Amino acid sequence: MSGSDRGAVRVFAEYERDFTEQADVVVVGSGPCGSVVAYELAARGKRVVLLEEGPPFTPQDFELDGAFSMSRTMREAGLRTTRGTVIPTMQAIALGGGSLVNSAICVRPPDFVFEGWEENFEIEGTRRADLDPHFDAVEAFLGIAPTPDEVQGQRNLLFRDGCDALGIDSEPIARNARGCRGSGECFTGCRSRAKQSMDISYLPAAIHAGARVLTSLQVQEVLTEGRRASGVRGQVVEPFSGRRSHRFQIDAKAVVLAAGCMATPILLSKSGNLANRSGQVGRNLQFHPGIAILGVFPEKVDPGFGATQGYQSLAFLREGFKLETLWAPAAVLAVRFPGYGHDLKTRLAEVPYAANWDAIASCHRSLGTVRPKRGASLDPILTWRFHSEDAQVLGGALYQIARIFFAAGARKILPGVYGVPGEIHSIEEADVLRTHRYAPTDFVTASNHAFCTTRMHGDPAKGVVDPRGRAHEMDGLFLVDTGIFPRCTSVNPMFTGMALAHRSAAALADQL
Amino acid sequence: MPSAWDLWAVLIAALLLGWGWWRVFGGFPRARGPAGVLAARELAFLAAAADATYPEGGSALPSGTQAGIPAYVDRYVASVPSTIGFLMRLLFFLIEHATLLFAAPGGGGRRRFSSLNAEQRSAVLEGWGESSWYPRRLVFSSLRAILTMGFFSDPAVLRTLHLAAKRIESPVVEADLLYPAVGAHPSTIAHGPEDLGSPSGVPLAADAPLHPDHADPTG
Ligand SMILES: Cc1cc2nc3c(=O)[nH]c(=O)nc-3n(C[C@H](O)[C@H](O)[C@H](O)COP(=O)(O)OP(=O)(O)OC[C@H]3O[C@@H](n4cnc5c(N)ncnc54)[C@H](O)[C@@H]3O)c2cc1C
Ligand code: SF4
Repeated sequence: MSGSDRGAVRVFAEYERDFTEQADVVVVGSGPCGSVVAYELAARGKRVVLLEEGPPFTPQDFELDGAFSMSRTMREAGLRTTRGTVIPTMQAIALGGGSLVNSAICVRPPDFVFEGWEENFEIEGTRRADLDPHFDAVEAFLGIAPTPDEVQGQRNLLFRDGCDALGIDSEPIARNARGCRGSGECFTGCRSRAKQSMDISYLPAAIHAGARVLTSLQVQEVLTEGRRASGVRGQVVEPFSGRRSHRFQIDAKAVVLAAGCMATPILLSKSGNLANRSGQVGRNLQFHPGIAILGVFPEKVDPGFGATQGYQSLAFLREGFKLETLWAPAAVLAVRFPGYGHDLKTRLAEVPYAANWDAIASCHRSLGTVRPKRGASLDPILTWRFHSEDAQVLGGALYQIARIFFAAGARKILPGVYGVPGEIHSIEEADVLRTHRYAPTDFVTASNHAFCTTRMHGDPAKGVVDPRGRAHEMDGLFLVDTGIFPRCTSVNPMFTGMALAHRSAAALADQL
Repeated sequence: MPSAWDLWAVLIAALLLGWGWWRVFGGFPRARGPAGVLAARELAFLAAAADATYPEGGSALPSGTQAGIPAYVDRYVASVPSTIGFLMRLLFFLIEHATLLFAAPGGGGRRRFSSLNAEQRSAVLEGWGESSWYPRRLVFSSLRAILTMGFFSDPAVLRTLHLAAKRIESPVVEADLLYPAVGAHPSTIAHGPEDLGSPSGVPLAADAPLHPDHADPTG
């Protein structure tokens, strides 16, 4: 294969032999963070090669069935969990990374989040005002805008009504979607082509600007020359089976790791424990544990229609949680229905009358690790402990969701939490959600927001990168995925990851 | 020279072993599932667990086996990485045989899950699901999650609950000129710049036609 044809995409069927290429910058990972960097650098005239282990998906590749969709688009078939406190957590393996399967929620964290970052991690120039120009640039590029009312559907609008009745601030969620039709299937891939996932937004633009996007390539090692990162090498992998074949090497002046916060630490470890004098690589893993409640209304809600996640409330961020509406394939949501047998079937028959709302919690005290497995696998070993104080925060969030449900007219709610009643019929009964002392294992929680495993810190002894994503102890090595957050964002992380990546791209371009 | 007692002991041990083997592996129908990954005994367990979780009657929804859960799980296990598939099968084995050690309530409760009667199966599931011991609840919720995914794969279930996917024509976007379908060669890309369109933004109508996979084949 020639390394000279700029501005192209390569897929699995095209690799016939081992190969090498040269570039100014090699970017590993095509998720939201890597894609922004690839485009910004290509647009500045740099020779960019972006490597992605997953394949591109076209609408004909999308699976409607939730489980089969997960086994195609997610690492470990979407069944990855932590040890310690078990929390399921997914990472995509696809061109576009998490953006292919996520709900497209784009939220700027409030100032107090960044103030906390600066104060606790000796970081400068990373206030909200510093980052706003980068948020603005990404927002303009992707057409991020509030979800229109016409595609909200009842299950989102009822949340608004409940919040209004209680005087709680709420708002339509801003998303990277253009022309959304309210199909509620962001998780299995947007057949309407409305969601501006990276594969249909930043990456085509990067390719037009001259970037080479090489898919189905698994990077296995970062190469170095002395103190400088000099490229990467790895192997071609077959989509879905993961079978490895031809070898490749990309030599570059700079290496950008954007493989995701559960993969970048593994790459560094497998490359001779690179950039880890601080000992922080793979540590500090944080999640936004999420919990969803189902509410059943007297009138039909028809939850199948409506933007996947259309409404949110940021009113409780300082208390440690964010409230949102939620939809996913029925099979995935139904897992939350309590019971079995005729009881379960009776409850399922109420699905057309139900809405599902969730809370995600900021859990600074609940920490974990990402460690490599022995042998050739790049799948991580994850550990995580849900701190009991953080569990109470989630309990507080449950109570607020219950209030909103009853204020919106729900006739009952199903909290799905061990130790509290399976069904609650009034706000008075719901008081138990406020007073109950929760154990971390009481919740069936999950989180696809993960961060902090290669955190930024002003002190090289305490962090892996600086606020621009430059590795403290290596030249030519940038980390730009959500692993570099020093602490969670309290809101959905993608937009912050992209804004930081946008800033890193400018810093890297200056350096080349 | 072995004594008669030794011969008796060997014979009794062999019989016990044979009996134990039969209790664990024997007496199942022989057929495998559509993907051929799961053994007949695993499918029998799944059928029993599917109908205990989703019994027949009580609402317009079908039973677990009517919804095709065992065949679905067989295909699903075939689609996941082998280590995960192995863990799922271990889960089935564990629940199927736990009642040989911890008997289900009622007469003849020390039998495999799939050999118990309907009430006993319910009681066993309740025991797992309501246990104060977290790992037991986790086993139950894992099994139930797998069965539930199978239940919701049935188009009839989805239609009954108004959750069947609508037919959506995907407009051709620039990316469709760049990427072929997964596994295909770029030469198979059928679209050109003249086909380009854009997402309509028109809300899906409640009565829009269903996706062919979810539509009622009888019309
Ligand atoms: C179901 C789901 C819903 C979500 N919803 C939202 C939402 O609405 N809003 C929001 O803000 N966040 C959401 N998130 C989280 C969000 O998607 C992630 O935070 C975001 O994708 C992280 O971006 P990233 O670039 O850091 O990593 P990723 O998106 O994980 O991208 C990393 C890429 O690197 C590739 N890669 C990994 N290892 C290698 C290797 N060795 N060689 C080559 N390539 C490799 C991966 O295949 C992947 O494509 C959701 C996540 C999921 C899973
Ligand atoms: S709700 Fe449907 S149409 Fe809207 S962005 Fe998500 S998948 Fe696309």
